[in-house]
Amino acid sequence: MATHEEITESLKVFTDNYNKSERLKIMNRDWDRVVEVKATDVESEHTMILKDGVVSLKKGVVENPDLTVISDSETLADIFYGDITPTEPYNNGTLRIMGSEDDIIRLDFISLLIWGE
Amino acid sequence: MKRVVSVSLGSSKRDHKVYADFLGEKFEISRMGTDGNFDRALELLQDLDGKVDAIGLGGIDVYLFVKNKRYAIKDGLRLMEAVQVTPIVDGSGLKNTLEREVVRVLADETGHLKKGTKVLMVSSVDRFGMAEALTEMGCDVTFGDLIFTAGIPYPIKTVEELEELAGRILPEISQMPFHMIYPTGKKQETQDEDKVKKFARYYHDAEVIGGDFHLIRRFMPDQMNRQIILTNTTTLDDIEFLRKKGVALLVTTTPEYEGRSFGTNVMEAVLVSIIGKPWNDITSKDYLDLLLQLNFRPRILDLKA
Repeated sequence: MATHEEITESLKVFTDNYNKSERLKIMNRDWDRVVEVKATDVESEHTMILKDGVVSLKKGVVENPDLTVISDSETLADIFYGDITPTEPYNNGTLRIMGSEDDIIRLDFISLLIWGE
Repeated sequence: MKRVVSVSLGSSKRDHKVYADFLGEKFEISRMGTDGNFDRALELLQDLDGKVDAIGLGGIDVYLFVKNKRYAIKDGLRLMEAVQVTPIVDGSGLKNTLEREVVRVLADETGHLKKGTKVLMVSSVDRFGMAEALTEMGCDVTFGDLIFTAGIPYPIKTVEELEELAGRILPEISQMPFHMIYPTGKKQETQDEDKVKKFARYYHDAEVIGGDFHLIRRFMPDQMNRQIILTNTTTLDDIEFLRKKGVALLVTTTPEYEGRSFGTNVMEAVLVSIIGKPWNDITSKDYLDLLLQLNFRPRILDLKA
C-alpha cells in the first residue's frame, strides 16, 4: 500500500516530466481538461489541471472533472512514477477511468509519451 | 474450386461473394462481417478452420510494422490463434509489398504522385510500406496517426519521429481492446463529427489522402477540393460517398471485382493459397513475382465524370 504522500510525490514526478516536454505541451494546447485522481484504499485525492498545454497539480477534488482515475494506492503510485503502464491495470479492471472514450485514449497516449520506452 | 473467406469485425452490410479466376484456377471469395462482435468472429473462424483454402482477417490488424519492428495487436492475435489448420492472414504481408509497388506505379506511370506532393496518411503504422514509399519518393507526407487515433492535433512529419513515437506507444496500445483504437462494427458506417470539424484542415490541405478506408471515411469533411484518395476496400456506396464529398480520383491498391475492391487481407489469402507455402516462409519476392504474373494493377477511378 502506498501512502497519500507517495501518491502526491508520484503525481509531482508525472507532472514535472510532462511539463519538461515541449512536444507534449504543443500536442495538448487544445486540450483543457480536469483530471481527478482517487485512491480506493487510503484517503488520497488529487486534481491535475491541463490548461493551454501545461499541467498543474493540486490536492483535493473539484466538481465535475472531465476524467476520474480510480485505483488502489500502490497502482496509482506505480503508474504515475512510470514503474508500470496503465494498460494492464486498465485491462484487468484494477484501474478505472471515467470519462469519454476519446479522453481516456488521449490520457493513455500522454502517459505513454512520458514513460514509454 | 478454391474457397477463400474473409472474416471481418466490420459491418455485415459489406458482405458479398464473388467468383474469380487466378492463373486458370477458379476461386470463390466471400466476406463475412460480424458487426464488431469479437466472439462471433472467433466462432466463425473456428467453424471455417480446415474447411476452406485460406482465411483473411478483416476489420482488424494483427501486425503493425514500423521500419524493422513488428508490433502484434493482442485482439488480432487472439483471432488468428483460433485457426489451427487453414492458412490465415491479416493483409500486412501484402500491404508491405503491394502498396509500395502501387506508389511506384502512380509516380512512374501516371504522374499523380511527384516530389513535393502533399500527402496525408490518416494512419501509417498499419500501412508503413505505403508511408515509407511516399516519403522515399519525396512527397511532403503528414502522418496523422496521433491526430486521428488519439485526437492529438500533432502532425508527424518524418519517418524518424514516427518510429520514435511508435516505439513509445505501440507496445502498450497494441494490448488495448481494438475497438478503442479503430472503428469497428457500426462505427464504420458513421462519421466522427467532432473530429471531422476539428481536423478538416488536414484533409483540405492535402493533395493525396492515403490509408485505411474506414479511417479516411470516418474523418472526411465536406467540400473536399478534388483530392486523390489512395486506399482499398471500397464499395459502390463508398465511391458515391467520395464523389459527394468532392474527391477527384480514387486509387485502390487491390483490383476491382464486381464493383468493389477487396481488402488486402482477402487478396493476401488468395495469394497464399496459390503460393502454397506456410505464411512465415513467404517472402516479399514471392508476392511480387505472383503479383507480376497476375498482372495486378491499381484501379484508378475518375470521380469527376
